[in-house]
Amino acid sequence: MSRGNLFLSLLLWLILAIFVIYPLSFLVIESFKIAGTNDVGIQNYIDFFKDTYYLKTFGNTLLLALLVLLTSTAFGLPLAYILARYRLKGKTVLTALILLPIVLPAYAGAFAFMVFFGKQGTLNLLLLELGLVSKPVNFIFGLHGLVFIQALHLLPFIVLSLSAGFTNIDPSLEEAAEVEGAGGFKRFITVTLPLCTPNYLAGAVIVFLWPFTDWLTPMIFGQIDYLPSISYINIAYHFTDMYRKYMGIVSVVVSSVICIGMFLISKRWVESKKYTSLSKGTTLEGRIIEPGPIKRFWSYVYMFLIAVLVLLIPTVLGLSAFSRRWVLTPIPTYWTLDNFRLIFLESPGLLKNSFVFSGVSLLWGVAFGLPAAYLITRTRVRGKEALDFVITLMLAFPGIAVGVSYLLAFWEGIPLATHWIIMPLSLFVRRLPYFLRMAHASYLQLDVSLEEASEISGAGKLKTFMNISLPLLLKGVFVGIVMFFIMAFQEISTAIFLYRGGWETLPIGIFLNWHRGMEFGIAAAMAFFMIVIIFILLLIVSRIGGGIIGAAWGSSGGRY
Amino acid sequence: MAFIKIENLYKRFGNVAAVNHIWLEVNRGEILTLLGPSGCGKTTTLRCIAGLEKPDEGDVIIDGQSMFSQGFIPPSKREIGMVFQNYAVWPHMRVFDNVAYGLKIRKLPKKVIKKKVTETLESLGLTGLEGRFPGQLSGGQQQRVALARALVGNPKVLLLDEPLSNLDAKLREKMRFEIKSLVRRMGITSVYVTHDQAEAMVISDRVSIMNAGDIVQVGTPEEIYKKPANRFVADFIGTTNFIAGEISEVLRERELVSIHTEFGQKMLCKIPDPAMASTNKKVTISIRPEDIEVFKEPREGADNLFKGTIVNRAYLGNFLYLFVSVDHTMVRVQAPYGIKQKEGEELFLFLNPEKCIVLP
Repeated sequence: MSRGNLFLSLLLWLILAIFVIYPLSFLVIESFKIAGTNDVGIQNYIDFFKDTYYLKTFGNTLLLALLVLLTSTAFGLPLAYILARYRLKGKTVLTALILLPIVLPAYAGAFAFMVFFGKQGTLNLLLLELGLVSKPVNFIFGLHGLVFIQALHLLPFIVLSLSAGFTNIDPSLEEAAEVEGAGGFKRFITVTLPLCTPNYLAGAVIVFLWPFTDWLTPMIFGQIDYLPSISYINIAYHFTDMYRKYMGIVSVVVSSVICIGMFLISKRWVESKKYTSLSKGTTLEGRIIEPGPIKRFWSYVYMFLIAVLVLLIPTVLGLSAFSRRWVLTPIPTYWTLDNFRLIFLESPGLLKNSFVFSGVSLLWGVAFGLPAAYLITRTRVRGKEALDFVITLMLAFPGIAVGVSYLLAFWEGIPLATHWIIMPLSLFVRRLPYFLRMAHASYLQLDVSLEEASEISGAGKLKTFMNISLPLLLKGVFVGIVMFFIMAFQEISTAIFLYRGGWETLPIGIFLNWHRGMEFGIAAAMAFFMIVIIFILLLIVSRIGGGIIGAAWGSSGGRY
Repeated sequence: MAFIKIENLYKRFGNVAAVNHIWLEVNRGEILTLLGPSGCGKTTTLRCIAGLEKPDEGDVIIDGQSMFSQGFIPPSKREIGMVFQNYAVWPHMRVFDNVAYGLKIRKLPKKVIKKKVTETLESLGLTGLEGRFPGQLSGGQQQRVALARALVGNPKVLLLDEPLSNLDAKLREKMRFEIKSLVRRMGITSVYVTHDQAEAMVISDRVSIMNAGDIVQVGTPEEIYKKPANRFVADFIGTTNFIAGEISEVLRERELVSIHTEFGQKMLCKIPDPAMASTNKKVTISIRPEDIEVFKEPREGADNLFKGTIVNRAYLGNFLYLFVSVDHTMVRVQAPYGIKQKEGEELFLFLNPEKCIVLP
């Protein structure tokens, strides 16, 4: 074990200790404090689980999580199969559309669907006008609406994980089933689907945890009886009422415990089920078949319907952004650029803040993620598994837990919360695993012998990294960088607790404008503007990801 | 009697004809090997027999029943057993369930399934591993599970797609004989795909050599080795020396020809096909290293005796392997290890006219 690696490892641990372990343990300690006294104890937890309201909230969240998982699975399974197995023209474009919600903030979808599917929304107005219904249909307000919007938002996770499973199955495993007499559906149930379960679980756990994290979507739909929403309300609105504050903190901790518990259980299960096979000679694209005309037709219809739902989001937001006073008409009647004037002229600080905070957190993410990925994949430094574990665990932590713990820990203990640096810092910590995962994956694809050859030729570790590893990692890392930026750019659940006057970001601006009620047009314009920025970033990724870098390394595209 | 008939089979991938209008018959109970280099179309042919690939033209007839031309019969209805190159043992099922899978699909009674699976596992030496997952087995054991799964249902046809290529050399050699005797005992008509000629020689009753989508020659291992139909077969099966030349004289009832060789000397060769015996025809002579005799001294008036210089001499235990330069043409010779000449020294090679094969 070299000294350099050990030093690097210690440095990373120090950062984790100060910015992850310290604030999160502060949160846990705080949850044991008893209101109005200096005592500590489990009284808050007892109260929480005795209170029928909190119990109901807890049950609601669990139910929502289950329904969202079921719905997204039911809709995602056929979609994943189509994407992975059928040769269809225009599949790439449709796939890109269907996967779009993964980069769109959940609140953008919520706003758009409220406008389109609401009681006075476009769809209801059209139905009324056509005389198909006599009074507005409640498409969206209530549990079913929440399930619908969250399932659509999370659909990409199910589709991506399942289609990866469908693609990665060694074709001969299915062929063997066919030869043994199991055709079509039987083969799918007995062989294909079971082999996909590890992949599915990886995606399913993210979906299941989301309702424990997303406090804003229920609030947009006028519902607060869900754990994250009630935590937000208790902590942000009632921080002077110590009892409610502690109940809020307790529900954050309860959500976090559930999230981490589920995450660890599924991780454990996936690892125990990892199927090693002696695959050789499998094709890169797996088993792609030419669907018959009927299957082809329904595949297109299905993909098209979901793509339309997704496209509704930018379309509706765009319509609201370029208009004012859009009420009681299917489409706006008064077109204006006023909303944009208000954003650019009166609050350019929002944009600047968003870019600066995301940019700074991105720099830290790269500076932390690359060495961490290096330590984990390329060295035998002691404690690297623990390092990987702690960082990965951040995937499961609700954003609200990071926000609240930062508020508590860096207000009283280390007074960082008075400086704007707290904003990018919280973004960095919240998205810690994203960049690491990408860098990690790129490192795994990079053959060690390429680096070893450089060292044998006389280059030191650092030189080898700069000359060999970094250029070859660039593509994977670059995609990671942009995704990190997109995620940081739309982050609201941590930032909402930490911002002070002058530190507002675009998402906070959206939230505040919506929250004040009257200014939906401005909120929509901001959300639309954000989607445009995300689009441009995505375009850059695909351009550079598939274009310049693809050309430089041949069509193999990142497989070295 | 032909049990499997392949009739005018044609399969194209993009612009390449992977299988180019081939005809082939496999007799009942025989083991036929499809042998050829990678990309020759042997696996595609096998997959057409299995029904995993649909040909663009032609048909496969198994036991008198058409597989394609009178409606496509899917693999699941063909009553075949297949062993895949990577075994394709399902990692999420235990050994017992892997082997029992096809029987369960056929809805056999539980007792029968248990009996059949137990017997088959026993015959392959897998008793005691029923409860294991494939991840807990060695490569060789997984291979046996794949074989057990293919055999347990008593299939009409057994298809084997390079089943031994993932095993280490020692195990591979052992399994060749084991598979052969097992399949023989059960009397199952089998088609075996491999690119390993030694494997093909050991395992098959007949070998069908393929190249670039065509069948080049079909015959017993001995016929293929002793009477290769062309330069490709002679080169692919075993090691041989090629000597280019031109027929200068036809002798003895068109059975013997005199050939003017590339190293400028005359050579007498027996010719298998009298039709080929015409003067000025360009031919290739093939002679195997073990068929060349070595002499220290020249012999007066002897035909086909050429002087050469040893360029490379390798000791291989039971014989010597020599690279001999005959007027700048390199000839490989397998000589008894009594030969004492060193590298750079001269000797005489006798190329027996009976053993020289003249190829078009």
